[in-house]
Amino acid sequence: MKSAHLNRLYGAFLLLFVTSVAWTQKGITGTVTGNQGEPLIGVSILIQGTGSGTVTDVDGTYALTAREKDVLLFSYTGYGSVTRDVGAESVIDVTMQAGAQLNEVVVTALGITRERKALGYAVEELNSEELTRTKQSNLVNALQGQVAGVQVSSAGGGPGQASRIIIRGINSLDPSANNEPLFVIDGIPVTNETLTVGGGGSRNVSNRIADVNPADIATMTVLKGGPATALYGLRAANGAIVITTKTGQAGGLSVDLSTTYGIEEVNKYPETQSIYTQGYNGAYDPNSFWPTWGSTIAEARAQDPNHPAALYNNFENGYVQGHQWRHSLSVSGGNEKATFRTSLSRLTQEGVLPFSTYDNTSFRINANYAASEKFSFGGGINYIRSGGNRVNADRFNERLVYWAPQYDVQDYIREDGSMIGYRNGGTVGNNPVYGEATNKFIDDVDRYIGSLNFSYSPIQQLRINYTIGLDQYSDFRQNYGQGSVYTGAPNFEDNLSNGNGFVVETRLRRRDVTSNINAVFTTDLSPDLNVRLLAGFDAFDSSYDRVTTTGNDLDIYNLFSLNNAADILTSSALVDRRLLGLYGDLSLSFRDALYLTVTGRNDWSSTLPQANRSFFYPSVSLSLLLGEVLELPDYVSFVKLRASYAGIGKDTDPYRTNVVYGNSAGFPITGVTGWTRGDQQGAPDLKPERTNTIEFGTDLRFLENRVALDFTYYNAKSVDQIIPVPVSNASGFSTFVLNAGSMRNQGVEVSLRASPVANESFTWDVNLNYTRNRNEVLKIFEGVEDILIGTSFGYAGSSASIRLIEGQPYGNIYGRSYARYNPNGDNADNLFIDYSQPLLIGADGFPIIETTQKILGNTQPDWFGAITNTFSYKGIGLSFQFDTRQGVQKYNQQSNFFAAFGISPFTVNRDQTIVFDGVTADGTPNTTPVYLGQGEGPDGENYGAGYYRNIYRGSTENFVEEADWIRLRNVNLSYQLPATLLQNVFIRTAGLTLTGNNLWLDTPFSGFDPEGNRGNGNGDDGFGGFTYPSVRSFLLTLNVGF
Amino acid sequence: MKHTTPYFLIACFALFFSACGADYLDVNENPNVATRPPLDGLLASASYSTALNQYRISDGHTAYYVQYFASPNEASTTDIYQEISNGGAWSELYDAMTDLYDLIRFGQEDGLDRHVAIAKVLMAMNLGLVVDNWGDAPYSDAFTGETLRPTYDSAEDLYATIFRLLDEAIAELATAEDAPAVRDGSDFVYNGDLDRWTRAAYSLRARYLNHLSETSAYDPAAVLAAVDAGLAGPEEDAAVTSFSTRNPWAQVADNNANLLLGGWLSEQFVDALNGTTYGVADPRLPLLTNRNDAGEFVGTPNGAGRQGDGTKALESYLVTTGALSMENSPLTIITYAELQLIEAEAALATNDQSRANAAFVAGITANMAQIGVDSSAITDYLAAAYGSADVSRDDVFREKYAALFLSPETWVDARRYDYAYKDFTLAENAALNTFPVRIQYPTTETDRNADNVPLVTLTDPIFWDQ
Repeated sequence: MKSAHLNRLYGAFLLLFVTSVAWTQKGITGTVTGNQGEPLIGVSILIQGTGSGTVTDVDGTYALTAREKDVLLFSYTGYGSVTRDVGAESVIDVTMQAGAQLNEVVVTALGITRERKALGYAVEELNSEELTRTKQSNLVNALQGQVAGVQVSSAGGGPGQASRIIIRGINSLDPSANNEPLFVIDGIPVTNETLTVGGGGSRNVSNRIADVNPADIATMTVLKGGPATALYGLRAANGAIVITTKTGQAGGLSVDLSTTYGIEEVNKYPETQSIYTQGYNGAYDPNSFWPTWGSTIAEARAQDPNHPAALYNNFENGYVQGHQWRHSLSVSGGNEKATFRTSLSRLTQEGVLPFSTYDNTSFRINANYAASEKFSFGGGINYIRSGGNRVNADRFNERLVYWAPQYDVQDYIREDGSMIGYRNGGTVGNNPVYGEATNKFIDDVDRYIGSLNFSYSPIQQLRINYTIGLDQYSDFRQNYGQGSVYTGAPNFEDNLSNGNGFVVETRLRRRDVTSNINAVFTTDLSPDLNVRLLAGFDAFDSSYDRVTTTGNDLDIYNLFSLNNAADILTSSALVDRRLLGLYGDLSLSFRDALYLTVTGRNDWSSTLPQANRSFFYPSVSLSLLLGEVLELPDYVSFVKLRASYAGIGKDTDPYRTNVVYGNSAGFPITGVTGWTRGDQQGAPDLKPERTNTIEFGTDLRFLENRVALDFTYYNAKSVDQIIPVPVSNASGFSTFVLNAGSMRNQGVEVSLRASPVANESFTWDVNLNYTRNRNEVLKIFEGVEDILIGTSFGYAGSSASIRLIEGQPYGNIYGRSYARYNPNGDNADNLFIDYSQPLLIGADGFPIIETTQKILGNTQPDWFGAITNTFSYKGIGLSFQFDTRQGVQKYNQQSNFFAAFGISPFTVNRDQTIVFDGVTADGTPNTTPVYLGQGEGPDGENYGAGYYRNIYRGSTENFVEEADWIRLRNVNLSYQLPATLLQNVFIRTAGLTLTGNNLWLDTPFSGFDPEGNRGNGNGDDGFGGFTYPSVRSFLLTLNVGF
Repeated sequence: MKHTTPYFLIACFALFFSACGADYLDVNENPNVATRPPLDGLLASASYSTALNQYRISDGHTAYYVQYFASPNEASTTDIYQEISNGGAWSELYDAMTDLYDLIRFGQEDGLDRHVAIAKVLMAMNLGLVVDNWGDAPYSDAFTGETLRPTYDSAEDLYATIFRLLDEAIAELATAEDAPAVRDGSDFVYNGDLDRWTRAAYSLRARYLNHLSETSAYDPAAVLAAVDAGLAGPEEDAAVTSFSTRNPWAQVADNNANLLLGGWLSEQFVDALNGTTYGVADPRLPLLTNRNDAGEFVGTPNGAGRQGDGTKALESYLVTTGALSMENSPLTIITYAELQLIEAEAALATNDQSRANAAFVAGITANMAQIGVDSSAITDYLAAAYGSADVSRDDVFREKYAALFLSPETWVDARRYDYAYKDFTLAENAALNTFPVRIQYPTTETDRNADNVPLVTLTDPIFWDQ
């Protein structure tokens, strides 16, 4: 019996394949040209309803395999898209209209392609060319300045360093919330987390999307939240980035090879004084801890003939030139039924901060098989290995501040391997370069992203899709510090914090499994009315496990093995999260003029209490094409009005619903375990958060579609936000999890695309976008006055903090300031400084520090935008992109340290006596002269540590700086060899590209490039200074196709 | 046969979800932790932490304020009395007290009287550190998890709480014999010895009553009564001797040896013991620290920073061979020697000179013997320093300063004594013109509990400091 069943099953499989061969497949070729007759290179051709397709080559020709009644979709940036039904012919030539975007098809939620005109919300799509233009190895950086509403901020220019992407502002009050969009690759949500566990805090670790090879991507669609992502459910509450990878094409085999070499350097350095040298109280002392509170260089040289004639600028000198190589190879092809594409890529990079490295190796295989007219399946798998030595830029830059500039910091190691310091003949004082050489954090990621999809269409109107996917990675992280070369040998202090050297090994695994089934039914109810109905179900299971083992006190100073450590401590963590979702979508189109879509989704989340874990939310969107209803003036080609509403629910992190007890740090001790109450007060009655979004917009096309203007207004209100509110330790916890507030983001997005010149030999395209977001914290849990998002240390009480209070926008930076004259005391409670009032000067003649925290700035820009110009003349292409961010402030921790250590250029007035502008307590102008230096002044008074240490460094106001910028983000010059030259060789295409990134920067910020942030968390964008500096890079790329 | 395809698909789908029953979503029980802790584990954590907190307070600020230590860096913040809050110690103290609160609560539910009574003594130890360093602090409204912003109890009320905790503990320890035992090894101080806990509770009572010496509430007779029931000998010191890695002072010494500078002895302390200040060399000094390369004991002046160029050891530091900074040196909370010196002070206040004399000698002798001074050297020292004269209050403070080396308790003495130690001066580059008498509240309080936290400066005294 059993074998009979098996035979039947085999039979079924066999027949499935055999029958599918019987359907007619045929090869189709053709040429795609522009309206001037010029061949269009790289036009994407997709067989609708399948994942397969191809792109045109340099001559504008293509070849693929399709069946009769298939619909081919041709799309090309700036030319919109065109569809053609496959009939009896085997050649389909297509002419596309520059500027035509009317019938453009875009990928929407769940990978469903829809005509752009039918959408009641804003969607933007980037193609492969736009994504690889800047040669960024981190895909997130490739989005910089390309899409309205999308803000990309990088934590710095480190190799592989994480970048953060925020769409339409921050939606969560929770300081630890993930405010980034969901990333979906070929229908599979993939993780983009940035984990710092195991010693990676303030190291330039990667966000996980950086693993993905940008050259594998065909298109990237940005769904900006609300109605666009309602079908994806709660995980896309902050928007979604939907990525489609390149697939193979039927026809000949094609092989593409690309090699890039790049160099990079720090694009902006902080300014430093170059007059005063090591010592304190103005006295030279080569053994002093203080790098520059000593005498002038001339005085020092009089005492010490070894003192150099000029100080080293170690803030420049400490950095080196970075290099990178990327090689990639792709092979694709196929026949009538099956297509495949494989790619291989290898990146090696050394950054500008000494010893920072990053390697990435990626393989990808995509394959599709059209078994029959009704059934097709396909899949892809991507293996990635990535990682490198992630340096500690924070420590490096901090230690550079302490380093005495009379010594070259690059002279860091003795022959015996011990550190050369900056005090006492080099025996004392931390050398930051030695620190990076001996204190490392190396990650090693193995990642697998795989997906399988099946599509079955039993009748013409119905298609059933099933996708199952896996995103799994393991990461082996090793953090170690070298012990002293011999007992008492000079060594970097971080290496000794827990004994003589240490090694920390962390092994972690993340596994996300997604399963999604849906069915789409399409029919014409009448000639005027088309109906599309979609229903589906998805399940998501995410698990994470980690073991961290710390070994302290190494026996052999440079053997970084746990076996070599005297003290071993281990901790582990397991986390599970599961989600289920049931969704439906009803779309109606009436006379191709009015489109209405209604969706509903119910989510069940494991992270919420049982009673509240199920929640439903709807969306509605409407699109009206005015041109179909009334006559438009000649110069107006197209007018679309759109409106939409969505209410998305959101769950929370796992394990936030009760109070727990964990093991105490440092235990077990002598075989005894210790237990302690967890720091977080969980809430057994948590409710899901809600974000309600309304969006209005227009899509306008003028002058025969040569000019396109899109405008969007949105208003998103998030309520019942789940927040771990930081509380007094005396409460028994350090945070309470509460449904604790609401917040609103509203803003406008404008994007303008124009093709001022488009003829056979020369085209000029302009792309401009503008984004303005306004945020307001509407309500915070009663009794909670503010929510602390983050703090950054400053000397003498000048630490800056970012906190949220009702009625104020997200991202206000608080700190101490100079007190202002305030005779009536009426501004005492004012959160803002009254800049109209003079400074209040104390009886000692110095400004007074206002210790009440005031709002000194905001981390969220007033607006940002970019303009990209692209020119092409025959085989030569030139594009350049300017970006700007305006109305944004940042706390510059480096500037605070510079002031405290006498490094800032303005501290050279330390030998002067001045009278501070301002008034004394009684309102009369200050007349007391004061000496700005240390110790005894010319007036015989003792000024102690001096003005900069006693007063200046204690006012946060001095270090919250304007962080606006305008930059030339990218220039790209390319040359493609004419096809005629290559006719008689085996080479199909050949081209050379020269790319420059970050070539010019204009900013009032005094430190490194203000684009760099302290890290990748919420609030980190308000803190800078000791970041991995941003870089200027030049890259040369050679492409050859066979 | 086309019809097999949907079945195939459905089969795939069903296969995937076969594992997914009604309890598919019931995965929100955190698998890494417990919802109800093992109470021996809470005791282990809290008893260990209580000893560590002595170190955290001392290394954080009191060792610098009483000039046991000086920073090797000129004008370092702590040395020169710039505003500091020692927020690390504050949060560790509240973590320990939170665990003790739970231990008392759960222990009472489970009838674990031994655990409850010990927890109350430990609570008093930690709360004492909080009041004596910061003053007013949350207690009666604290630890519950019901309020986000606990209100502050006055320092006087907290003292009343300390006495109440000790009284309750003493009463409960007497009747806890029949309650379940403490798991072996989980009590890092006395390993469950109830008698010693009782005597430690009396000793603490003596200490905190004696803190009131400058107030009208001072009752030296009550101090002496508590002393009578206190620790019976140096072997009963409340101390932890097993460590996660090593004694934290040994870590400081180790780090300093590896040029991660710390634990530099102040000129004040070294001069007090090397004969400079008092004319008599204290035999404890060679057992606590190193001689410099010239064979001398040299301290670093507070606020002045290091003297030499670091190529040679010009100063004295905490060293890994020091009696209090070896790998497994006891980390003490309250000692028999301290109790004897408390007795001497209280006896003087009751004009019982002979009792004072005896307790004074007993205190010095006990401490010296513990550190490893041999008995003839002790006798010689006592003879040279004091002869047969009656002990004075100044003598008691002088000897307590030496005997309580590294203890946070010395800062309480310094304030009660108005820093009147011989030759004791403000640090160089001092930011204040008087000695500090408290520290600031940490930013976690000023940020998160602004309505309740008192506004204070380093010169606002605690109530007992008048």
